[in-house]
Amino acid sequence: MIKAYFQLVKAQLLLFARNKNSFIWSLLLPVFMMIALGTLVGGNSNQFSIQVSIIDHDNSIMSKKLSESLTKAPGVTTVALSEKAAITRLKQNDLQMVIIIPKGFEAKLNKQKSKATVTVYQDKGNLSTSQLSSAIVSGTVDQINKQLVHFQPKILIDNKGISTHQLQYMDFLVPGILSLLIMSNNLNGVAAQIASWRERSILRRMQGTPLSSATFIAGQMTARILINLVQAVVVILIATFIFGVNVYGSWGTLLFFVLLGTLTFMSIGFTVASLAKTPESASPIAGLISFPMMFIGGIFFPIRQLPDFLQIVVQAIPIGHLTDALRGIMNNGATFAALQVPLLILLAWTILAFTVAALTFRWDVK
Amino acid sequence: MIQVENLMKRYGNQTVVDHISFEVKEREIFGMLGPNGAGKTTTMEMIEGLRDPDDGKIVVAGVDAKRQKKKLKQHIGMQLQSTSLFDYLTVKESIELYASFYPKARPVKELLVSFDLQEKEKTWVKHLSGGQRQRLAIAIAVVHDPKVIFLDEPTTGLDPAARRSLWDIVLQLREEGRTIFLSTHYMEEAEVLCDRIAIMDRGKILALDTPRELIRQLGTNTRIEFPSKDDCYDSEFSTLAGVKKVVRLENDLVQLHTDQLADTLQQLIPLADKYHLPLNGISTRTATLEDVFLEQTGKRLS
Repeated sequence: MIKAYFQLVKAQLLLFARNKNSFIWSLLLPVFMMIALGTLVGGNSNQFSIQVSIIDHDNSIMSKKLSESLTKAPGVTTVALSEKAAITRLKQNDLQMVIIIPKGFEAKLNKQKSKATVTVYQDKGNLSTSQLSSAIVSGTVDQINKQLVHFQPKILIDNKGISTHQLQYMDFLVPGILSLLIMSNNLNGVAAQIASWRERSILRRMQGTPLSSATFIAGQMTARILINLVQAVVVILIATFIFGVNVYGSWGTLLFFVLLGTLTFMSIGFTVASLAKTPESASPIAGLISFPMMFIGGIFFPIRQLPDFLQIVVQAIPIGHLTDALRGIMNNGATFAALQVPLLILLAWTILAFTVAALTFRWDVK
Repeated sequence: MIQVENLMKRYGNQTVVDHISFEVKEREIFGMLGPNGAGKTTTMEMIEGLRDPDDGKIVVAGVDAKRQKKKLKQHIGMQLQSTSLFDYLTVKESIELYASFYPKARPVKELLVSFDLQEKEKTWVKHLSGGQRQRLAIAIAVVHDPKVIFLDEPTTGLDPAARRSLWDIVLQLREEGRTIFLSTHYMEEAEVLCDRIAIMDRGKILALDTPRELIRQLGTNTRIEFPSKDDCYDSEFSTLAGVKKVVRLENDLVQLHTDQLADTLQQLIPLADKYHLPLNGISTRTATLEDVFLEQTGKRLS
């Protein structure tokens, strides 16, 4: 029924384009979020910064030089604290990193063949900030190392790694908004639409024709994938041209993850619509699922250290992985090789959710 | 064209369709008349293959409706009780969408013309009037040129003019050689349109015949109604010439069934004088399907 498939895709695209609400929610809302959160959270220092406390036990010329370089490193805000206080605040997540320069740092440096050590404490539970922080510290230390040995670089690296990006909050936010958009468009959008079609007997009417449910679902999926891809491109373009956000990774990889996320959340949406006892309860159930995901999905803010049981939940659900992947691609230029974990988890979710959706799908009201 | 035998459907422990049997002949307009909740829609949906019966046998155009659903759907067209159309598609797009679900479909232009929708071709369903929307629903029901058409309360909520124009369409469909199964709770509609009528209430078919025959079977052809608070005179009313039956209605109305209207009235007036009964508000009329319904179910339809 190829004819039916194309007609269904066309119909869904027309329905989307002609419904003012869907337009407003899918394009104005993300832009509004960028403006609102960008100005609110970005504040004076529009920088995506990490809070670092440097504890200098050596108080030598070299140690001061190191802490000075670290202070000047992009994206770093230093906080002066005692060692004890700093560690406490790190545990409370008020700090992202504590760097300790031990006594005898300079002495060791000046001695031949001995190495000086700097101890770094950081919160490993938060992937994006810990990676960023490590990159900043190692970059700075590396520079000093090179200066000390009067290193003449033979190979020049055109460094496009994390430490050279001026990561702004907006860079962090936009992939999060994309992820949120994909989730709400599909999970909430599909659940609400299918439920309303069921309530208004639209599905039952289609059931009265030779149309198969497989053709119907395929048409829905195709149309929604197209809508989501276009939407993602538009949001990213707005972010790029108006808010100066960069896409460091490949667009292909990025759109592949948009597609994967769309399929996952759409399948969950179908399942919710099918399992809801009444059509009216489908939307609230979808909301109940997606609302907490907004907070533990790392959409607006990095996932802070969560209690262990929640940590397991966060690792198991798709939203965080989708956000991580999109962020990795946009901010760090991550490739498939670097995104194996989110890729596998999202694939598993897509297959699982799709199977459940296909098995539970029904045209009518029970 | 349609054979239904011992059809039964139960929701929980409530039997909504209670072992009914009937037959719909080819090129007939068959009406199912009954109040909301009588089981009309459930019956139709089981015949359409949209619901599985708990018991019974259904054959439509030689196809077993329970086992050969795919085949059944090629032969039948339907209009459901609720609109079941997409608000944001145009008339033309809606027809094209449904046309694509069938291997063979009638040209869109032809349907637009025969359902008087040419001018609304590019109008969104959302902006159609109730009558136009129903015409579109029926146009879609015949998009694949089916032999049997099911119309579930096609004129509910329509104004009288729109209702009449829809009746013409239904009659036209029969002219084209189709068999039509419709449900309604409008007596007039059933009387005007239907060749045969099944009166349904609480899951059972109480009577099935042509409208004329159903009325004839009542035995009396006229009803006299007037207000009468007390039922103490009812026995006297029943002795009046021609009166076969005295029925108490709600709102303190009494109804006399007679087949000799003039004689009954001649005796009723002196009787009313004698007991000082006010006869203002008295009305007489010929028996209709409404009376058949009242007789069969003990309640009024509307």
